[in-house]
Amino acid sequence: MSTENFTSRIVKALNSWEGFLLLVLVLLFVGNTINSPFFFTLNNQINLFQLSIEKVIVAVIMTFVIINAEIDLSVASIMGFAACLFGWLFQSGVSASGAVVIVLAAGAILGAFNAFWIAWVGIPSLVVTLATMIAFRGFARVLVEDRGITGFPDWFDKLGQAPLVGPIPLSILVFFVLVFFFYIVLQRTVFGRQVYFIGSNRDVAEYSGINVRGVQAIIFTLSGLISALAGLLFAARLGAVRGDAALGFELDIITIVLLGGVSIFGGRGTMVGTLLAILIVLNLRNGMALANITGHIQTGVLGILLILSVMVPNIQEWIKKLRKLGKGTVE
Amino acid sequence: MKVWKVSTLAVCAALAGSIASAETAIAQKGLEADMVLLPKFLGILPFDQANQGAQEAHEELGNTGDLLYTGPTPENSVAGQIEIMTTSASQKSAAVMLSNNAGEQIVPSAVAAQAAGTKVVTWDSPIPSAKGESLFIAQVDFGEIGVVMADMAHSILDGEGEFATLSATPDASNQNAWIAAMEEALKGPKYAGLKHVDIVYGNDQSEVSYNRALALADKYPNLGLIMSPTSVGIVASAKAIQDEDLCGQIKVSGLGVPAEMVTYTMNGCAPEFALWDFVDLGYLTYYTSYMLATGQIEGEAGETFNAGRMGDYTIEKDPTRDAGLRVLMGPFTVYNKDNVEAAAK
Repeated sequence: MSTENFTSRIVKALNSWEGFLLLVLVLLFVGNTINSPFFFTLNNQINLFQLSIEKVIVAVIMTFVIINAEIDLSVASIMGFAACLFGWLFQSGVSASGAVVIVLAAGAILGAFNAFWIAWVGIPSLVVTLATMIAFRGFARVLVEDRGITGFPDWFDKLGQAPLVGPIPLSILVFFVLVFFFYIVLQRTVFGRQVYFIGSNRDVAEYSGINVRGVQAIIFTLSGLISALAGLLFAARLGAVRGDAALGFELDIITIVLLGGVSIFGGRGTMVGTLLAILIVLNLRNGMALANITGHIQTGVLGILLILSVMVPNIQEWIKKLRKLGKGTVE
Repeated sequence: MKVWKVSTLAVCAALAGSIASAETAIAQKGLEADMVLLPKFLGILPFDQANQGAQEAHEELGNTGDLLYTGPTPENSVAGQIEIMTTSASQKSAAVMLSNNAGEQIVPSAVAAQAAGTKVVTWDSPIPSAKGESLFIAQVDFGEIGVVMADMAHSILDGEGEFATLSATPDASNQNAWIAAMEEALKGPKYAGLKHVDIVYGNDQSEVSYNRALALADKYPNLGLIMSPTSVGIVASAKAIQDEDLCGQIKVSGLGVPAEMVTYTMNGCAPEFALWDFVDLGYLTYYTSYMLATGQIEGEAGETFNAGRMGDYTIEKDPTRDAGLRVLMGPFTVYNKDNVEAAAK
């Protein structure tokens, strides 16, 4: 390979959205390390993941949903419902391990319920999941009313809080296993290609004989299941549940996925992009916290980041168009 | 034999008393301890006042470390408090002074912080189970708050009528304890004419509280008073009642900040309300936390220490919770037309 070829490949890679994200991530990492002596410590790196682990786990499956040109606003309500259902079952005398199984099944059922209205009845996912976002949150609040439930068995709390393998707790392992698994599914399987195809043009996909309903049913059911898993991890990490568990998380999750370069119109985006966006958001938040920046400013910075993530690809498009126009006049 | 036992006990008690009083710890100034003051969320006047008191003590004690006042946004209060607690421990802060808004959910992060050497002192709102908490700086006795609220309701309603409570969040341990204390007080014969009809929650957000107050006015045609034991709820309720021109029928009372309440007290919408001094609470919290973090007090029941301009305090078992230790600040001020203008300045 000639050096010219090599540099042009690097330039091309940096020109891609993932390349840009990687650059941002490296800058953040260096900036944070210079800014605080506590940033680049094992303990802090684990905390940084642990504090948002439930959101980033759901972001993995949300990547599928949005590439499929759909949206799932009900994820955080399913997380909250799962946490509350666990607390309620446990308080009603069901063993914690039994409750875990029931909660996961319930999550899959709620996801399948979304899928039914979206894939078979044909109501837009924005509407369906907006309605279920409110309804599932309502179920959660009914279950635990206005109190908190706590006092779970030690093994359950430990799974959420204590290291499992070396210094790494269960939730972080779950996250990386899911990222790897869904990376393979999305980028290396027929199912993954179908997800993109449906997202680019649903009608054409249907005429081409793709089982659109089946694919969507799988995605939304998985979304419910994984949200329930995240809800359980949330309950274990905090050792207590309340009706407002995971309230408002859906917007953070969708923000991460869009920042990762997944198009809100579907058909575009990668798992690598989502992973990079996750790392950027976590590092940014942690860096700001270590720099003692208050919550209001943190929220503002994340908002600006999202605006940029939507604008930058558009600007890239304009530049391409301008170049084409320029060429046209020369010819 | 019995007499002997009793007298031994008496001697022991006297001895314990004399030891405690003989060893009033006086703060050694000028030590280094990074401190974090963590309110429920930012942008609420009483918390800013507490910060003012903490800053005053910080300078007075000549702490060469930093005092950081930081908190989450209201929508992100629970996750935000947990995040700041965890980050403060990573930064090896000497103490976090927490007004807990996360109920029991804060416990794992507070326990982890303690294990990492960061003291956790709560103020304004404690950790219900006291797990992960070194001490709670209680503003006033929770039972006394209940009596004061019942008395204000009694005097505003002239001994007879319906009233409802508009609280903060359903899980706010301080408000819940005060309401419980008020209901306990209402059982007394003096309050037989008062009927407590409902408790609603405005989540300490102005708009939500405003709407909940209006809903109460609609739902209970005979309502004479809204009792709001939160500085956000009481202002929102007073504004709602005034906007609807209902001040003639429905009064507002509870716990509020004079500067925010002065107009409503002077125009009769909120004739009486109560509060303790948040500047003092911040000052005492800081003083106690500094001495705890620098090892000058151990944080055990019976210890007495001097808190600068506020005088001597003793650590005691918290009678309002199953577990936990507290330092009781007190006392209460009831504000009305006669004293609210001076306090608002």
